[in-house]
Amino acid sequence: MLNDLLYRLRALFHREQMDAEVDEELRNHLERETEKYRRAGSPPEEATRRAHLAMGGSEQAKQQCRESRGTKLFDDLLQDLRYAIRSSAKTPGLAVLIVLSLAIGIGANTAIFSVTSTLLLKPLPYPSPDRIAILWLRVPGIGIPQDWPSPGQYHDIVTQNHVFEDTALATGGSFTLTERSKATKVDGIRATSSLLPMLGATPMLGRVFLPEEDLPGKPATIVLTYGFWQRQYAGDATIIGRSITLDGHPYAVVGVLSSGFGLNHEVLPTVAGIDRPDLFLPPADEARIPDNYGSENYNILARLKPGVTMQQAQSDITVIAARIREAKHRDRSFTISVVPLIDQVVGNVRTSLLILMGAVALVLLIACTNVANLLLSRAAVRRREIAIRAALGAGRARVVRQLLTESILLSVFGGAAGLAIATLSLSVARRMHPGNIPRLDELAMDWRVLCFTLAVSILTGVVFGLAPALRASRVDLTASLKSGAKGSLGGGLSIRHDKLRGALVIAEIGISLPLLIGAGLLGRSFVRLANVQPGFNQQHLVSMEVGVYGPQFKDPVKRVQFYQELAERTTHLPGVTATGAVSGLPLTSAIGWGGMHIEGHVPPPNEPELQADVRAATPPYFSAMQIPLLHGRTFVESDTNIMPPVAIIDQKMADRFWPQGDAVGKCIRRSEDSPWVTIVGVVGAVKSYGLDADSRMVVYYPHGQIRNGTMYVVARTSSDPAATIAAITHLVNTMSPDIPVYDIATMEQRVQDSMARQRFAMTMLGGFAGFAMILATIGIYGVMSFLVAQGTPDIAIRMALGARRSSMLSLVFQQGMMLALVGMSVGLVSALALTRVMGSILFDVRPTDPLTFVSVLALMLVVAVCACLFPAGRAMRIDPMVALRTE
Amino acid sequence: MAEVRIELPQGTLDLLILKALTLESMHGWAISERLQQVSREALQVQQGSLYPALHRLERRGWIKAHWATSENNRRAKYYTLTLQGKKQLEVETTAWRRLASAVGHVLDMA
Repeated sequence: MLNDLLYRLRALFHREQMDAEVDEELRNHLERETEKYRRAGSPPEEATRRAHLAMGGSEQAKQQCRESRGTKLFDDLLQDLRYAIRSSAKTPGLAVLIVLSLAIGIGANTAIFSVTSTLLLKPLPYPSPDRIAILWLRVPGIGIPQDWPSPGQYHDIVTQNHVFEDTALATGGSFTLTERSKATKVDGIRATSSLLPMLGATPMLGRVFLPEEDLPGKPATIVLTYGFWQRQYAGDATIIGRSITLDGHPYAVVGVLSSGFGLNHEVLPTVAGIDRPDLFLPPADEARIPDNYGSENYNILARLKPGVTMQQAQSDITVIAARIREAKHRDRSFTISVVPLIDQVVGNVRTSLLILMGAVALVLLIACTNVANLLLSRAAVRRREIAIRAALGAGRARVVRQLLTESILLSVFGGAAGLAIATLSLSVARRMHPGNIPRLDELAMDWRVLCFTLAVSILTGVVFGLAPALRASRVDLTASLKSGAKGSLGGGLSIRHDKLRGALVIAEIGISLPLLIGAGLLGRSFVRLANVQPGFNQQHLVSMEVGVYGPQFKDPVKRVQFYQELAERTTHLPGVTATGAVSGLPLTSAIGWGGMHIEGHVPPPNEPELQADVRAATPPYFSAMQIPLLHGRTFVESDTNIMPPVAIIDQKMADRFWPQGDAVGKCIRRSEDSPWVTIVGVVGAVKSYGLDADSRMVVYYPHGQIRNGTMYVVARTSSDPAATIAAITHLVNTMSPDIPVYDIATMEQRVQDSMARQRFAMTMLGGFAGFAMILATIGIYGVMSFLVAQGTPDIAIRMALGARRSSMLSLVFQQGMMLALVGMSVGLVSALALTRVMGSILFDVRPTDPLTFVSVLALMLVVAVCACLFPAGRAMRIDPMVALRTE
Repeated sequence: MAEVRIELPQGTLDLLILKALTLESMHGWAISERLQQVSREALQVQQGSLYPALHRLERRGWIKAHWATSENNRRAKYYTLTLQGKKQLEVETTAWRRLASAVGHVLDMA
């Protein structure tokens, strides 16, 4: 065995030497043989002749010696490869088209499947993630699709459920960490001791919380995340047992979590909207009260018992929710839903992703169709060449292997180029990452998918390389060598004689059209979205959140004074023309809402309690944002807590309750037992939750009367926004070093960010549609060029017989356009069926938007015309003399 | 010279070459001459089969080759039986005898 291998290797690497030895051996043999006959008495010529005769064919012997060395397979492969490269180089256009088709198919597929598998298929990094659920209140009857539960509801669920192994109550918040007279804003989660073990978090140092720390009256403890520990304390291990100060209170650090643990807003969307917690705290006192139903500011996570399905859990919780509904007189539509954690994380991008995956599957299909098509054309062009080789004695298997080597070579090149495209697309996707698509940070090339697409395309190469190869190898030699086999006169240019190829082109156009229409719909939808007026002027507006809390601001008057002073100083900054502050800025995660009672409006029985968004605003807020005042007045500095309470409502609320425009002077109150508040003004509605989301009714209260500590400060500036932001931050720091400034952005940026997800989807689908169109163009162009090449002698003869050039042009053109039109009809029908699934991700555009359909059809038509025109032009320019002479 | 030539069954040439080499190392031409003489001119081995067979045997490790000066002072490639080749010869000889006697029995029937 070893000897065999060594011999073969020697044969491979010392081929020339071995050939020379065989030559010498055979020459010796011949001499001896000749000598033998001469000795036997033959004259010299006769002796040579007889020796030759006795020995048999010398070349044949050499060839057989080579074969017996066992390197024939490899030698043939090398020869095939050399030949394949040479013949591909002879028709570089075709080779490039095939490689390009494959590259796009493989590259696009790998990239998008990588994105999808990262987002959808990779399990969450928690133990048995499929058994973790998050619980939400839903009150669809009064327009609340999802709301945070309260500790009271948590307590009911804990004591009454039969389906959960473990449950956890959590809420997020921001705190001011004071260290060496420097204030930092930190985000934390207050949670029951069950949360961290449920999510598989283990301490790297110290411990996590103990069950008894869920009870009141325990010392204040704190657990740090690894990242925060590294950032803030440079990984100092002596931190355990030390005390740190949050919002003026000391907490003892008892543990640091290991680095592998991560929790973010996507997994646990807290009411405070914090992105990633820096630290964990035991629950606040209010969370420990079993009948605290009022504070709906909590998240409930639960781990299902093994074997319990999400549906079973949901039915169990529905029963408990019904009890709460009865006992607490909630709206009829009140329920509690159990959402699997993975759905929570990727829920709203699932549709987009599945559409993208569909798009990519179509692109792969088109790419393979193209390759098949081009390989068929290639084989047809080479029938003659193959026939010649067969006539010279090439065996059928040898010819088939040769053709296969060629198609596999092209596939491999295509695969390599595809890998490059995939890498490039992924880096583009990573750079485009809007920041609000969950889990995209983890994006990496999916090698399994790469292998899969590579295999698919190589298989296409093999199958569609093999079919024509087999057919070609069976060619009737005489028929092929006579020019008859090359574009027969009888059939002329007709594609009717090439049904398979025509069908492939039709399929390509039929598949790419829905993709293009889908991309068109998304694009149009995006334009519509970008044109939505947010209700304020986002130009030249900077904004940031300022956290005025802590012991020195316990007195609310101090907070109001702080913002007044800040506003006063800010207006003196260079370039600043207006400034104001509000508790909940549009397009941020800050929110606030509550019940609403209207004087003289008695809600009919069974009708849910009115809900409205609630904001505290400083007097100049509206003018700074350029939110128009429609009726009445804005707030003034004298609207303080010693003055009668006042409010400003937005147009949405005014239109609903006072359609005649007489809202000013009417009264509202927040609950049955709170004082009446007089409406003094009506302002325009703003888009609070995104350009594509309906806003809710908003009531603004003067900051002098609702004295929030945390406010968003906005400033309109004519100078550089970054400079203005820096200047305001500096002002805050000089006024009080303990006050953190965060969530800094221009309003323009917030508007852009709110559309990031749509832009991402549009760009991705647009990219794929573009790829599809390129591929389909290649397809039409390839087939038409092939038909012209095949039909050259035919066209030449017609021209020689007097056919006009223009009629040749129209002949080719008509053939191509026929295919294109049939393909477009097929595509139109499938587009009508397919775009319907896009309804949910479109904004203000119907899935059957006629404008989009017409424009895309027109575009496709132009592309088809171009793809047909070039080959047709070539047909027109054929010189009959040259063409016929080459025959 | 009798023009009766026998077509060698597949694999038989290998056996004959191995046998021819049991006495001494030989070059290709000598092997073909030896086979011709010993078979009383009934077997004439063409170089088209002989040399490929030699290469095949060498690849399998049953014979070794080396270049040496021949009796007429020319460089020639000499083939020698290896230990493995000797074993192979025994195996194949036994197999051949068994086959030949079996075929003989069948032919002698009736």
